Amino acid sequence: TAAAPRPWRLFGAMCLLRLPRITQPLEKEEEEMAALMEQIELEKSHYSDHEIRKLEEEEQLRRRKESLYDEDEARGKTVIMAQDLEDKWEQKFLRFKAAPRITDADKSNDRTSLNRKLDSNLMLLVKQKIGNQELWLLPQVEWQPGETLRSTAERALAMFLGDHIQAKVLGNAPYGIYKYKFPRAIRTEDNVGAKVFFFKAFLQSNDLSQAELKADHLWVTKKELGDYLKSEYLKKVSRFLLD
Amino acid sequence: DALLGCHRSYRSRPTHGIGKFKYLLPKEVPKRRKEKVQMKEISAGTEYQYGDVNIQMTSYDLCLVEHFAQYVHRLCNRLSIRVIESYAMPTKTNEVLFLEEKGSKMQLDAVLTTHQRIVQIRGLSSTFAPILLEVIQSSQPEGVHLLVKQHTEADFKSRLKSRPELEELLAQMS
Repeated sequence: TAAAPRPWRLFGAMCLLRLPRITQPLEKEEEEMAALMEQIELEKSHYSDHEIRKLEEEEQLRRRKESLYDEDEARGKTVIMAQDLEDKWEQKFLRFKAAPRITDADKSNDRTSLNRKLDSNLMLLVKQKIGNQELWLLPQVEWQPGETLRSTAERALAMFLGDHIQAKVLGNAPYGIYKYKFPRAIRTEDNVGAKVFFFKAFLQSNDLSQAELKADHLWVTKKELGDYLKSEYLKKVSRFLLD
Repeated sequence: DALLGCHRSYRSRPTHGIGKFKYLLPKEVPKRRKEKVQMKEISAGTEYQYGDVNIQMTSYDLCLVEHFAQYVHRLCNRLSIRVIESYAMPTKTNEVLFLEEKGSKMQLDAVLTTHQRIVQIRGLSSTFAPILLEVIQSSQPEGVHLLVKQHTEADFKSRLKSRPELEELLAQMS
């Protein structure tokens, strides 16, 4: 005997997160605290080998200039002086250029690129057609009987971004659920509404050049979600997002 | 003065040994040093629970790794996850030699030390594991590699030193 057909349609949605690549800037109190701790540690610390060597060599130089000691010359230790090493390291440091924290994509506010906010989580939003409306949603696909909800979500991801996405889903349990009833016009006995189960995945690689089947995608942070999602949907989604 | 007087009991006085209490406590047997205990592993129950999970943190910077290990340990305490052990692997020292071949071949040395800290956890339910992993992942400091894996016997053995003489004798005996 088959079970009575349930009136709800099930969808699996995937929330693809790109983890932050840089740490967030410190708050004012954190900066002050860090500076204070550094000063304390500097005052409490002992000299390192390199610094002791430097001090000794300075002493030797000074003694040589004052009273022309020739005994110390026979040591041969002064092939490379500690001061020379320091100068060399300084030059190397000046030649090194760190990558910019605020990239071009930030300045142009290009929301389709992954290089935007490097210090916060970015989520994927896709434009989908539900009923007769085009909405910005997390990529979702209907559940087929016989497969797990997690594989539904993975299928949704594969549908929108192609097969070669290195996204890691951590667990089999969904993170959130959003259910809504269809407007009365479409509602039938069997089809009262839909339930969307959210799963989370983490983007492993930074390179998405092979993907992008559909062009209507966005990478947004949690704060910018409000611009695109409807309020009810947004409430349920932001429940499971850490920031 | 009553303030300055110290209450030393002399041996002749009846109050000698007034503060002793160790004879009242139960006698402790001194512990043997060999710990060959193997931890049991749980896997695949109805409530799916992971067995022993190792969270390994590696980095070049000692302070960062230690503080991060402390943070993870305290997080697990707060979330009432049982932490079995929290130990460190021996540090590995790498010497980096630059061979500059612009005329005179100079070798600039740099000495890098790699530190590793491991926090062992038991009783992680599979509904909670992804949340914990996400929290740890998002609070990772820069320059620290994170690795979460199941605890195996090989991991346990890697902490112990091999004794070549003992092995030789055993081989001779058998």
